[in-house]
Amino acid sequence: MDLSLDTRQEGDHTVIAVSGEIDVYTAPKLRDRISELVSDGSYHLVVDMENVDFLDSTGLGVLVGGLKKLRTHDGSMQLVCTQERLLKIFRITQLAKVFAIHDSLADALASK
Amino acid sequence: MGVGSARTRTGVSLSIARDPSLVRTVRLVAAAVVRRASEDEELVEEIRLAIGEACAVLVAGLSGAATDDAEGDRLQLEIDVDSGRLFVTVRSAGDGLLSAAPGAGDTMVDPWALLRGLSDDLVVETQDGRTALAMSWSL
Repeated sequence: MDLSLDTRQEGDHTVIAVSGEIDVYTAPKLRDRISELVSDGSYHLVVDMENVDFLDSTGLGVLVGGLKKLRTHDGSMQLVCTQERLLKIFRITQLAKVFAIHDSLADALASK
Repeated sequence: MGVGSARTRTGVSLSIARDPSLVRTVRLVAAAVVRRASEDEELVEEIRLAIGEACAVLVAGLSGAATDDAEGDRLQLEIDVDSGRLFVTVRSAGDGLLSAAPGAGDTMVDPWALLRGLSDDLVVETQDGRTALAMSWSL
């Protein structure tokens, strides 16, 4: 399985549970899902990355692009991520300061 | 071949079409090769990430990479272990300058930043319309 996206509504937030690898090949699928949700009026997204096995700069670009798009609608993007190998990527690229990264889905859902 | 061998060479070479869908295959092979050389799973993950990133850059990110010749359509990976160090070289057509990666979304994150952060000795060489990314790690 390359990439699986499970989308559901949790109160005011839309949760995208991502499983698999976000890379140069699969990142467009995530980008398109985020775009669809924004077009449908979902402006508060939570991207649950607990089952993500790989993330490269293409995937990071999709997340940054999604965040920018949401902010134009006064929206938000929260990330759920406790995997050190992924957190390291955010730190190396200085994106740990850009994203709200949470230890749990509950914390992410409590934020905007 | 084993960890700590003075002049162990894996001599692994892999060639794929410059197709994003094949980069995962390269990562799988690379991880398997690195695991034979090191029991440090954190190191394996770091190298897998670096190789995946290097391949992504060369497959989708370099300007001037479109070419009609067969060799130019391919990406080559070489992994060698020598004197307790693992060497990786990834080569493809392209002039070393990043263009907007197709399908990357609205915002390009600088992959050089990620590669530089993962490898202490990243070397980017461009010659005759081809680019090579070389990295190494101590085992």
